Amino acid sequence: MLNDGNAAITCRNLWQVFGSGSEKALADALGESGGNPEAATLQLQKTGFIPAVQDASFKVGDGELFVIMGLSGSGKSTLVRCISQLLPGTAGEILIEGENVMGASQKRLTSMRRNKMGMVFQHFGLFPHMTVAENVAYPLRVQGKSRKRRLERAREVVALVGLEGREDAFPRELSGGQRQRVGIARSLAVNPDIWFLDEPFSALDPLIRRQLQDEFLNIQGTLRKSIVFITHDIAEALKLADRIAIMRDGKIVQIGTPAEIVLRPVDNYVREFSRDVAKGQHAKVASVMKKGSGPCGPDNPGLTASMTLDTALATCMKCYDPVPVHDSGGNVVGTVQPSDLATTLQADTK
Amino acid sequence: MSIAGISAPIRRGEFSPGTTAAIATLIAGAICLALEPLLPWLVQWPAAWTLPATDWIGVSLTWFLEGVKPAARAFSEGMRYPMDWANLALNGTPWPMLIGIVTAIGWVVGGLPMAALGFFGLLFVLASGYWLESMNTLALVAVSVPLALILGGAIGILANEFPRVKSTLQVILDIMQTVPTFAYLTPILLLFGFGPVVGLIASAIYAAPPMARNLILGLERVEPEIKEAAIMSGGTRIQQLFQVEIPSAATQIMVGVNQSLMAALSMVIIAAVIGGFNDIGWEVLLTMRKAQFGQALLAGMVIVVFAILIDRISGKLATERKRHDSRVFLAIIAFSAIFAVALRTYLPDPSELTLLAPVAESVDQGLTDFTRANGAWLGAFKNNAVFFVLLPIRTGLDQAVLPFTWGFAWTAKMSALLFITGAVSGLILAWQGRLISGLSLVIATGMIETGIADLPWPFVLTGAAALGWVAGGRRLSLWCVGLLATILLSGLWERALLSLYLCGTAVIACAMAGGLIGLASFFSPLVWKIMRPICDMLQTIPLFVFLIPVLMVFQIGEFSAFLAICAYAIVPMIRYTRHGLVNTPEEMIEAAISSGANKWQILRDVRAPYAAPTILLGLNQTILYAFAMLVIAALIGTTGLGQSIYLALAQADVGMGISAGAAMAILAMIADRLVQGFAEERRRVLGL
Repeated sequence: MLNDGNAAITCRNLWQVFGSGSEKALADALGESGGNPEAATLQLQKTGFIPAVQDASFKVGDGELFVIMGLSGSGKSTLVRCISQLLPGTAGEILIEGENVMGASQKRLTSMRRNKMGMVFQHFGLFPHMTVAENVAYPLRVQGKSRKRRLERAREVVALVGLEGREDAFPRELSGGQRQRVGIARSLAVNPDIWFLDEPFSALDPLIRRQLQDEFLNIQGTLRKSIVFITHDIAEALKLADRIAIMRDGKIVQIGTPAEIVLRPVDNYVREFSRDVAKGQHAKVASVMKKGSGPCGPDNPGLTASMTLDTALATCMKCYDPVPVHDSGGNVVGTVQPSDLATTLQADTK
Repeated sequence: MSIAGISAPIRRGEFSPGTTAAIATLIAGAICLALEPLLPWLVQWPAAWTLPATDWIGVSLTWFLEGVKPAARAFSEGMRYPMDWANLALNGTPWPMLIGIVTAIGWVVGGLPMAALGFFGLLFVLASGYWLESMNTLALVAVSVPLALILGGAIGILANEFPRVKSTLQVILDIMQTVPTFAYLTPILLLFGFGPVVGLIASAIYAAPPMARNLILGLERVEPEIKEAAIMSGGTRIQQLFQVEIPSAATQIMVGVNQSLMAALSMVIIAAVIGGFNDIGWEVLLTMRKAQFGQALLAGMVIVVFAILIDRISGKLATERKRHDSRVFLAIIAFSAIFAVALRTYLPDPSELTLLAPVAESVDQGLTDFTRANGAWLGAFKNNAVFFVLLPIRTGLDQAVLPFTWGFAWTAKMSALLFITGAVSGLILAWQGRLISGLSLVIATGMIETGIADLPWPFVLTGAAALGWVAGGRRLSLWCVGLLATILLSGLWERALLSLYLCGTAVIACAMAGGLIGLASFFSPLVWKIMRPICDMLQTIPLFVFLIPVLMVFQIGEFSAFLAICAYAIVPMIRYTRHGLVNTPEEMIEAAISSGANKWQILRDVRAPYAAPTILLGLNQTILYAFAMLVIAALIGTTGLGQSIYLALAQADVGMGISAGAAMAILAMIADRLVQGFAEERRRVLGL
């Protein structure tokens, strides 16, 4: 697991409770229940408060793509707004690169936003009165960078998202997909280390959505940002994530890799999500193999740890004995029994 | 809770709030009626019980105003400079140049139609011979509007940045807009002395609220994600506000600018009442006083032309993003400059142009002929309306029915007969399960017999409390009673009832006529095609101008005032009725059609209930419009608060001006809250 040393974002026991006087109410409720979050939540709801995020704890590693998934109203957007401090947070700790931002001064927050953070919004949040280039350059404009320098940088980022030639268009002249490309470009203008994306592709057509997801993965492949990505779409989460946190009614119910979520859901709620997902496409061989060089049969169909179960199954259709699994360098890292591949996939389909 | 008329029959022995309220009002009325001969103070609030609030207000305000007077006078001196500059700029520029500039602006903003509007509009002004007066008025508007925009903008930003003060500021804005225009003038007159500065300040104050309101609304409506994007971009609060939020709200802000401009123009013209300085409002007033109606109409038309020009051109700024070719703009300006320079020695002095004087004369002549030819039936029309409608409503059948007009005298027996008829009809209605309608009928019978101006005050207070209770619960009820009580205590009660009578009658007339026209416009696109530009026109014309035509035909008097109020206040009723009926969701109509409803059934069962909240809002607007016009109508003869405000202005009596203005504002606000309460209730019932 990750330790604090290389965590870009650390959340500890974070609460966001809405309602006036919520800080005291939360402290009282936690005190009465002896620190039990479920009991405190019930207590708060009974007294008319809205505990939108309850006792959330997780870490996002350096360069990790961390997806928070949940249905609407589950508190995922509230959570990302706490981390970016668009909402103050009621209790708990948020460390960004080791610095606690809960209760940081406005000045410090502004400076962090100018240097470290970028955010993309579901409905783009583009400024209607500015052109594409001006929108993208705005984070540099507030810092007082010269017009020449900021437009130069804007041109670079606009090219990165594939919008060359549309620099002088206004947002209203662009399609939905193009608008979100502008949103992405703007969030990257200051070259932030930490990147928040709040349902960035949810408002787009399925085809455009897939295209942007692929481009997003490409961009992330070269930039390696630390990302908090919000979505309500399990397929999107599984496709993009290094790790996924699943939220329900303000609570994080499970955190794990896509394979863990698909293969070992902690409860029926999570199982429901992954029900219609073709697990074979998301779970990797690594999640079912035995580590180390155990007994092997004579066949070596060339499995690798990062292969999906579907592909692995297709390669060793005719094998009955355990086969070796290689890493990307070709070294043997473990073994897998081919029949396990099939049973894993069928685990939930009874 | 449900409101009068829609409540289903409830369990025995339990009444709906509407019924309870009606019964309470009825009982109060009956008691007052019975005791009236014994206790005259039920009808006439005794002078001994009146607090000299008017004097107190007068004394303390005068003291206060005296204190700040030096500062005000200094400010007024300071304002002289921008006013002189604006005057110099507008009057010093040769007229072809000004026409060219306005035409060019029209082009950039709205293309050929707007350019043509600007060109021909100003050409008309030039031909009318009122060029100089118009420019004087425009100069005042040109200085007061920036003041209003700064003031309104500051209030708007304050409300946006400090949510704590927002509700307080909104109440202040409400009051600034409901206090009648004339009531502003008296204290300002004391502060700044006679002269154009009074009009300037008054119009800056009057024109600030629309700007503030629209700015608040616009900032509220900026998408939350846009605000968040500005925060996440690392902007400071000032940067967020001025670089992102205000520009994003530009459309709504331009609506505010448009409304501010119109309010300022209207107020500048009204301010002529306190003594003109050769502006167009003064011209209208002067010619009206001399009964030169042709000239008055011509000057009024000039005002209308300016109102339309300013409204349409600034309105375009709020709706259209497209800007037209700027080369044409430059070409028009260049051409007019060359024209002005080349022909400078031949250009006639605009104030000596009298191209339209013959028209004015022939209008005068035509009017004389017209009244001579139609005097008989016009007079009969007016007299019938006054004797058989207005007067009975005002003083009641018991005093209005005289042998001289009705041919017989009203007797106590007739009163008894009327009450019995009312009671029996009420009982029949109640028997049919329409208890509230029955009770209302009985109450209405009593009011017609007594007359609005003679209503006993306990009855009015109970009625207002009952209405308030049904419309908005206990708080609204107490609020209404409390405010009415202040009028009672200040000794303005009689005048307030007179105002209430004229306004109420006009509103009822508007509601019926406007509702019918709205209905007709809904059914027939042709009617709407005709009515729409008329409505646009009526809403653009400054209040003042409405007086000219009614005065021409019906002379000074209450009936003319009544007509002027109706002409102005009917528009919202028409618009909202049609709008409500047209905008019923298509799905509901389709559901009704597939259930087999015919056109009338759809109207009655689907469209009308759905449109009710919208129509109520229209009624609300109509009421506020009527109150606004009531004060202006005081110029041509009304009694009541309007007249008091107007007289106070003439005598520079601050106490009376402010108290009567406040009483007027109170009446308007009570009517506003009551109707809004009902509309809210209807919306809630429909789940909107």
